[in-house]
Amino acid sequence: MQFQGTVEINAPRDRVWAFLMDPDRVGSCGPGVESIEVVDAEHFKARAKVGIGFISARFNVDMTIAERTEPERAVIKAHGQAPGSAVDATANMALSGPGEGPTTMDWSADVTISGTLASVGARMIEGTANKMIGQTFDCIRTKLEAGG
Amino acid sequence: MTEAQAPTTTAEVAGMGHSMKRKEDPRFIRGQGEYIEDVVLPNMVWMDIVRSPYAHATIKSIDASEALAMPGVLAVITGKDLEKAGLHWMPTLAGDKQMVLPVDTVMYQAQEVAAVIAETRYQAADAIQAVYVDYEPLPVVVDPFKALEPDAPVLRPDRGPEKANNHIWHWESGDRAATDAALAASDRVVPIDVYIPRIHVASIETCGCVADFDPVRGHLDFHVTSQAAHVYRTVISLVSGIPESSIRVKTHDIGGGFGGKVPVYPGYVISIVASLTLGRPVKWIEDRSENLQADSFARDYHVHAELGLQNDGTITGLRVKTLADHGYSDAAADPSKFPAGLFNVITGSYDIPQAFVEVDAAYTNKPPGGVAYRCSFRVTEAVHTIERLVDEAARVVGMDPAAFRMKNFIRKDQFPYHTPTGWDYDSGDYHTALRKALDLIGYDELRKEQAEKRARGELMGIGISSFTEIVGAGPSHTFDIIGIKMFDSAELRVHPTGSAILRLGVQSQGQGHETTFAQIVAEELGIPASKVKVEEGDTDTAPYGLGTYASRSTPVAGAATAVVSRKIREKARHLAAHLLECSADDLEWTNGKWSVRGSPDRFKTIAELAFAAYTNHPQGMEAGLEAVDYYDPPNLTFPFGSYVCVVDIDKGTGQVSVRRFVAVDDCGNIINPMIVDGQIHGGLTMGLAPSLYEEIPYDENGNNLAGTFMDYLLPTALETPAWETAKTITPSPHHPLGAKGVGESATVGAPPAIANAVVDALSHLGVTHMDIPLTPHKVWRVLHEKGVA
Repeated sequence: MQFQGTVEINAPRDRVWAFLMDPDRVGSCGPGVESIEVVDAEHFKARAKVGIGFISARFNVDMTIAERTEPERAVIKAHGQAPGSAVDATANMALSGPGEGPTTMDWSADVTISGTLASVGARMIEGTANKMIGQTFDCIRTKLEAGG
Repeated sequence: MTEAQAPTTTAEVAGMGHSMKRKEDPRFIRGQGEYIEDVVLPNMVWMDIVRSPYAHATIKSIDASEALAMPGVLAVITGKDLEKAGLHWMPTLAGDKQMVLPVDTVMYQAQEVAAVIAETRYQAADAIQAVYVDYEPLPVVVDPFKALEPDAPVLRPDRGPEKANNHIWHWESGDRAATDAALAASDRVVPIDVYIPRIHVASIETCGCVADFDPVRGHLDFHVTSQAAHVYRTVISLVSGIPESSIRVKTHDIGGGFGGKVPVYPGYVISIVASLTLGRPVKWIEDRSENLQADSFARDYHVHAELGLQNDGTITGLRVKTLADHGYSDAAADPSKFPAGLFNVITGSYDIPQAFVEVDAAYTNKPPGGVAYRCSFRVTEAVHTIERLVDEAARVVGMDPAAFRMKNFIRKDQFPYHTPTGWDYDSGDYHTALRKALDLIGYDELRKEQAEKRARGELMGIGISSFTEIVGAGPSHTFDIIGIKMFDSAELRVHPTGSAILRLGVQSQGQGHETTFAQIVAEELGIPASKVKVEEGDTDTAPYGLGTYASRSTPVAGAATAVVSRKIREKARHLAAHLLECSADDLEWTNGKWSVRGSPDRFKTIAELAFAAYTNHPQGMEAGLEAVDYYDPPNLTFPFGSYVCVVDIDKGTGQVSVRRFVAVDDCGNIINPMIVDGQIHGGLTMGLAPSLYEEIPYDENGNNLAGTFMDYLLPTALETPAWETAKTITPSPHHPLGAKGVGESATVGAPPAIANAVVDALSHLGVTHMDIPLTPHKVWRVLHEKGVA
């Protein structure tokens, strides 16, 4: 599944970049995230509970910052597993705009969902995923614009 | 041609032709059937299965430590554990092999990866969530055409370097050169591409088992939902090394089989291993999603067919090329010489001079299969293709589809009829069956109504299907499964007081064997059917048999029952001669008694003779009145029928409603008319299902998108029209009772009638073919493209 979008954040570009590269801060905006563990500068792990319709699963997700060009562009790869389900994703984001803000973030994500979640929740995945992505960016923008 | 032959026995005896109420129903309708779920043994534990989220992936590691620490958990079994005993792969009935549990690679989404055994069902279900499997996804092959491309990933490297591709087998039948020549000499060649989608039998009862190995006696009791208990016992013995005498397979009542309970599933083998390991009974029952996602599928044939025609509508030849998607293993349950089943019966009800059929099978990342879902080995695929194709051919030459069929049917006087692909049809009268169906539905009036509606912009269609089935496998010179010849058996013991027990090698899954087979004994011996107990499904007591599928019970075990009854009748004749002090040659058999020819008042009833067999048999004669018969049919039987269906299509939504459906069936002589009608009603509903609702689609990553009854749609009573059934009777000339078998006719015959009706409703818009299922969305899309909706 392909997702993409653009978010305007009323904050300086380096603050946006710093927020997005901080697993603890950006992780706090991920829906259902229960814990974040930083392995090293490129790798971190998250534990998140995701529900689609009547199915919910607790995912263990390994994330890797595969590419980063500060403060413009990053590629993040994620591989998550839950009992009977799995998710593999590659997310691209590009920041642009004047250094003092507002910052424009163009993002895209290629998400593959496998197993029970795909099989049983197929008709609801796209809507749920869109909602969850929307919530995540709302959270990021709100926190940054509030000075977080 | 009568509606039903008149019974020759009284209602009390209830031989053939009596609609005796089913003897098994009192326990079913009171909820007192005994299904696998009802088997509860002392000290029994539960198994649940960890399944793969990926359709193709490497297993990097399996961490079961958290699961093993959970309350009640006794063991976790993985492929590596089975590998030590050489049990990680098992043979399939089709001569391929499939994984019991994978050692390093998973091949389809929902494949078994590990098993957890715990004290309770809930503990096992909780613990599978705590088995952590680390996967590395691999490229997925979903499309069987892409699977055969040179650069496709090789899914089964275990087959060795000489088979470094995804091609499983090629099979062909008929004369290629003669067919090519016949088509080349035809005025026209009409092609069609038909996809018969992957579907599931979706029986009410899912699969399950209780494996009960007693380490003290060295004995395995295996309770299982199987359509073929004896074959299971032999396979288990061959794979495990346990002597067959120390294995008892017991089936209990079965809540629907339809072919899905023929294969041996990995869960069965793991349960046996778990019981051998723990020395306790182990129960495993799959849930609905596991059943839909992992059990053997049916169909999944991509067919390209071409029909040669003269301008006057005479068929000259048929050429068929097919690709079969078998998933990652060929786990079909076809007779071993027939990897594509009896698909080459595709010439159907038509007198086609030349035919050539070829089938290639491919591996993909899907569950292994496929089974024949309520059809005799791929006959549904064959009938759907030919019945769609003759409709299209009629359209091309400008003939009415009924008239086109009448012109090309095999005539009654051509039977026995040898087909160009090698079958010998036993008997048939296709013209009469179609005429009867057309009259019952009022065909000519419907065509007028259709024309009027079309003028008003309404969408109405009429569809015909005139199918020929091929059932009753089979003659042992041609048919075997893993080398075991496809005979079947009956053992009959008549007790001193005149009642009897009949044991069979076949297996009821709801068909009413306890009634039907008792009625055969009643017909042949005059023992009231109510006094004949029928027992199946316990390998310790039943004679060896191949089981029930492909409508083979009445053609094969029914014949065995007739023959074994006649053996007993013959022994009773000698008892009667002794009691009546006459020569056996002077006796004649009428209505359950042997009487002296010319002196009808001097007779002995079967009850008197049974008593004498134990109390007053002549010196030198063996006591008792029992016999066994292993029946090897001389040929298959060929039931047939003509179905006519009327559909209305909603222009706004694309929804298809079946307004009327007339089914004229000919299954030869009928044993219990009520049971035959019940079989036809069920079969028609199971033919409606794939026509309008059922399909298991996969996404590009190999995820099964119909894993629950939310997405895998079954018709309920609300969607099912009022079926109108009728019969013609053309007895089988070689079956002892003239019977042919009926269990699958309607499931085979109904889908093309519905598909033809939908195409007919849209034909004036230029629609020439649509693949099933004809869902509202699919029909609406066509209407939208044509500017109607």
